Amino acid sequence: MWPERESRLNCPRLKNWFAERYDIAPLKKLAREKLVPVHGHDLWYYTGGVVLFLFALQFITGMLLSFYYIPHAEHAHKSIIEIVTKLNMGWFFRSLHHWGSQLAIFFLFVHLFATLLFKSYRKPRELLWYSGFILLVTAIFFGLSGYLLLWDERAFAAVRVATGGAGALPIVGDFIKAFLRGGFDVTGETLTRFYAFHVAILPLFTIFLMGLHIIIVQIHGMSTPLSLKDKNVPQVPFFPNILYRDIIVWLVVLGLTVTIATLLPPEIGQKADPLAAPPENIKPEWYFLFLFQTLKIFPGEILGLNGETIAIMLISAGILIFFLIPLLDRKSGRGERSPLFTVVGYAYLAYFLIMTTIGYFT
Amino acid sequence: MTLTVCITTVIAFIVSPLWAQEAKKAIEVFPSTPYYQFIIFENLAIFWIAIIGLIVILRMKLREIEQRQKLGLDREENDAAPPN
Amino acid sequence: MKLECSLVTRRTFVNTLLGGWLLAALSGGIFALLRFAFPTLGKEPDFVILKPDDYLDIPANSTKAFAWGGKLGLFFRKTDGNLVALKGVCSHMECNIAYKPEERKFYCSCHKGWFDENGKNIQGPPPKPLEIFVYTVEGDKLIVARKGVKVELPKA
Repeated sequence: MWPERESRLNCPRLKNWFAERYDIAPLKKLAREKLVPVHGHDLWYYTGGVVLFLFALQFITGMLLSFYYIPHAEHAHKSIIEIVTKLNMGWFFRSLHHWGSQLAIFFLFVHLFATLLFKSYRKPRELLWYSGFILLVTAIFFGLSGYLLLWDERAFAAVRVATGGAGALPIVGDFIKAFLRGGFDVTGETLTRFYAFHVAILPLFTIFLMGLHIIIVQIHGMSTPLSLKDKNVPQVPFFPNILYRDIIVWLVVLGLTVTIATLLPPEIGQKADPLAAPPENIKPEWYFLFLFQTLKIFPGEILGLNGETIAIMLISAGILIFFLIPLLDRKSGRGERSPLFTVVGYAYLAYFLIMTTIGYFT
Repeated sequence: MTLTVCITTVIAFIVSPLWAQEAKKAIEVFPSTPYYQFIIFENLAIFWIAIIGLIVILRMKLREIEQRQKLGLDREENDAAPPN
Repeated sequence: MKLECSLVTRRTFVNTLLGGWLLAALSGGIFALLRFAFPTLGKEPDFVILKPDDYLDIPANSTKAFAWGGKLGLFFRKTDGNLVALKGVCSHMECNIAYKPEERKFYCSCHKGWFDENGKNIQGPPPKPLEIFVYTVEGDKLIVARKGVKVELPKA
């Protein structure tokens, strides 16, 4: 006995209206064929989706904050205080935007090191690594540009240091510094420029590049670790099995972000004064610490050459090698075990963790 | 549930934290009075109930989907004729 | 009464539960977003506090503007010497009105509406007279309030 009529909640009339005009059967077939491997390490697959979710959260909270934030050196600081004290739940949305950005960059590093250590960058997925690297730089620039918009003492000093550091690069340094600052020093021009980056240029660029990144993932499917290369790995359909799991993970991440945002709302310091000395013990945001700690451990002069320049060159070399890992790791490109690059991967991770920790506690 | 959420969020919007008295003090954001703190924690609890409820229901959906897949039911047509 | 079979399948039950819960959670979230995005929907104050010296000595047949929340308020001394406070907003489409001393009328340039010295709408599209306020002087404060509003000063 069939106890129910066709449920009206399924919207059959709406679906028919659509189906009479658009034939999405091939798309649906494609979607149903998307499979995800199941194995002992498949939890790491969720890291990319978490970054995507947190970025979406940032877009939404950022759009809300942009209703009230005034990107002018005179009013920026005050507008944030207004948002945080006068508006309905203003403090919460600002806090959510702040912690969302911290967690997004944190999970981005998790995703980065997971793909590095699982060697997901190997052939045929090199473009994912390169686009991902550019997305990392974009995300860090998001963080830096957003941070300056506070226009308080810490942010001002931090951006002065960060753009000054960029200026230390050989040849292109001064040009980059002038481009970022909009002049010789960090001024109201810098604020306007960083605001343009933060709300217009970077978001459009990110949407485009992330779209590309995700489409390439669909084309290749998920990479499986080299250790499982010869094993027959079971697969499950993405729609809806993994999608529901993705959503559950995102809900947990949302809960985490909201809870931290509620219990630990960020404060705002005094308004920036370009002529004042920077505050005591000024430190950049945590994701810059490993770079600045590296700069700190180099002596002022090595063999008659400027220590800082040498440090910057070494850092640049390190970053370049990191970027070119798919090209350099020939063995994994052939599907072979590549223990050298496993060591290299762990070395980068260890360096990042140790330097960040030292930078944080000194 | 939505009604409770709406009412409590409306009440929560009268949050009025301290102003900085003079330049040196940092500006406090989290409200200090227990009345408002209670509202915020209450809302946080409701939020978590919503999230956990969603996760539970999604797990129910997942269990249903996996059972159907195991029985091979998802390859059946939806409009198939009933047996006998 | 025992049923032969259940009225809904397990699938429908779970789907409805999911849909309903999702709807409730999302509407709660969107409500919070909208409350933030639409802060105070054009609420007018019940009263404003001004300095008496600025407004009590204006000459006859003239007006002086004051802020009524975000809108225009006018102190108006009529030709017979009486001082009134009124909202300088046309009752038609809320444009600001101006006083024309030569004609002793208020004029709204948006749709050419006219109000007389008592605020009554005499010509053009405005459907209602201008809103007249009640004002009192308490010590060094000039308090302008909406009619019928009990003014309670904060203990500042």
